[in-house]
This record gives sequence, C-alpha cells and structure tokens, in this order.
Amino acid sequence: MATTTTYSSSEVVYVPRAGTLYDTLELILDRGMVIDVFVRVSLVGIEILKIDARIVVASVDTYLKFAEACNRLDLEATSRSTTIPELFGGKAAKAVGKRKVKKTIESVGDKLRDVVGGSDEEDEEEPEERPRRRTAPAKSGGRRKRETE
Amino acid sequence: MTTAGPYVYGIVAGDHPLPAELRGVGRPAAPLESLPVGATAAVVSAAPVPLRARRRDLLAHQEVLLRLALDGPTLPMRFGMVAPDAETVREQLRARQERDLRALERLAGRVEMNVKALPATGALAALVAEEPRIRQLREAAQSHPGYEANVRLGEAVVHALERRAADVAQRIVPELAARAVARATGPKVSEAVLNVSFLVDRQDVMDFRAAVDRMSGRYRDWVELRAAGPLPCYSFAEPEGAPAAAAWTGA
Repeated sequence: MATTTTYSSSEVVYVPRAGTLYDTLELILDRGMVIDVFVRVSLVGIEILKIDARIVVASVDTYLKFAEACNRLDLEATSRSTTIPELFGGKAAKAVGKRKVKKTIESVGDKLRDVVGGSDEEDEEEPEERPRRRTAPAKSGGRRKRETE
Repeated sequence: MTTAGPYVYGIVAGDHPLPAELRGVGRPAAPLESLPVGATAAVVSAAPVPLRARRRDLLAHQEVLLRLALDGPTLPMRFGMVAPDAETVREQLRARQERDLRALERLAGRVEMNVKALPATGALAALVAEEPRIRQLREAAQSHPGYEANVRLGEAVVHALERRAADVAQRIVPELAARAVARATGPKVSEAVLNVSFLVDRQDVMDFRAAVDRMSGRYRDWVELRAAGPLPCYSFAEPEGAPAAAAWTGA
C-alpha cells in the first residue's frame, strides 16, 4: 500500500496513521467506550469475517504447505534464514507459490468486501489489503535486495 | 440519504478544537459537530441509515479519532455507537462528567501503541533441528510419503511455530511494559500469539519503537512483530478494572 511507512531498517512495520484497518480493526470493534443507552450497529458480519480468516489460516492447505517446505529442507545445506518460498525450489516454483498466495489473498479480500462492505453496490473501494508479510515471496525478495545493497 | 443519530465518535474536553475539514461516517461523509455539556463534549455527526460496519465507515471512525487525539486527550467510543437523540447524549455527558474528566486527565499526553506477535515462518531449519518430534514426523513423511503424513507433519510444524512464538512473546511484554504507563491485553486475533496495547507517554513513543525494533531483531527466529501507533487510546478509555482489563504499571 502506497501509504505504508516503515520507520526503521528492521522488519517491524508501523501501520500508517491513515488508510489501513488490518492492525486496528479489532481495537475499533472490541475496544473503546460503550454507553449502554446508545444503540450499537449490528456487527454480525464482522464475527463471520473473523472466523473466516481463522479457517483460512488453520486450513489443511497451510499444513500441507509447511509439510512440503519441511520435506524439501536440506538440513546440511540450508542456512537458518531460509524462507518458505525458497524451500519450494526454483523460479518456476516461486511463481506458482506467488500465484497461490495471491489467490488466497484475493479470496480473503473478497470475503472482507462481502462482510465489511456489505451488499452496497456503490461501494467501489478496494477491499482491505492483507499485510505484506503474508506474501512470503516478497519478503525473500526484500532480503535478497538488501544483500545486494 | 436518510439519517439517524447522532453517531458518537468520542468524548473530549469542552474546549477541544474540532477541525473544520474533518468528516465522519456516511456517504457523503457527514460534517462533525460538538455537543458540549459543562467541561466535556461529545463529538458527533449524523449517522447513515442503515449503519453497517463498512470499510469506509470504519476508516472514517478511525480517522476522526486519530485527528481528535492529536489535539488532546480523547475518549474513543467503540465503532457504531448511535444515540437516540442529542438530548440523550447531553444527559449521558452530565451523568458521567466526573468520570470522563478523570479519564481525560489520565490519558493527557499519552497514546496507545498496539503490538502483535505472529509466529516467524522463516526459521524452519532451526525448528527441525531443535524439535525431535518434528524431525520424527518429517522422517516418517519422507519414508512413507502421503497426504496424511504430510498433514500431520505440517500441523506439528504450525503448532510448534506458534508455541515457540508464544513463549518468546511472554518475554517481550515486560520489556515493552517498562516503557509504558499501562498495558491491556487485546482481543484474540487470528494468527497472532500476542495482542497487547500499551499506554505510552507521547515523548516516549520513539523510545518504545526502538524497543520494539530491538525485540524484533533479537527474536526474529521466533516471532514477527507488528506494531501500530500512535493510536487513540481505545484500550484505556474505561476506568481501571473495566472490561478492557488494563493493567497499570504504576509509572
């Protein structure tokens, strides 16, 4: 996301003040003051969103991804910093991995739009982006880039 | 657009400035209004009907509170609080005035910093080297390859990554709490093994960030830290012992 600001050279990402919800959504929905005599908007959809995200993460697909990475692990030759996508093999495998990740992101994004955006047709805004860390290939790319600097 | 309301964003001191350009929920975005009663005021706008948790409305809620918090202590409301009418808001402000003033005083010059820890996925080799059970499952999956063996192996890896991350996260909390006035455990969020908010003096924010960076570097094989802030004090608006379960570190 264009507005993402990293304040340090480490990998900690400070969420920008504007434009994202991913890291603060649960605070906006679950924290803050409540005054009993005020009506609260129905958030049924939001609960579904949270459960959805958990299912996506805890899915068998995730297990299989880690198993594959683990099986490909060459314990003698691999450095400690090896990342998942690198374990998947060469460039072709990387590209496939990237597509898969992207697909997952899109499906989560669609669910997010369904839930957060409701059925509001005039709402043409983009669904919330998943944080970059989930696209593991980008991360390894960043690491390589740093090495060449 | 039909409107109901008022939608209540938060409670501020009576003399808190209200930036003219700031807009709230709804489409078109509603102009904001201050409802002052004595020493406090509620920041409100018209509410769209029906009001749902739309992305743009959640963002508007957050933006209004971020902007208000820049100018002074702000008690943020949870998203989606709509009062029956302006008079009800005034009654509430009158009834809670003492309590709100105390809270505003407590939050003056302070911000919320939220820290989440997620299992690091970049150190698989270390995991296999250090966890005998993973090694066994890996050997089993390699000698008798198959769907079930792989699911077992992957599940064990995911759980081990989570456990290692959670252990380390518990070591990180006190280090960060030392730079905060209070902390509050946040709601459980998927993937994160830790979700904690810290109440930090504004002048200590850079120091706090530096501490997060140090922890991130030191424990990069175990956790990936995500920090957000400065934020409005969502987790510290209620008095001590309230549902947010804030723990005051006594600083």
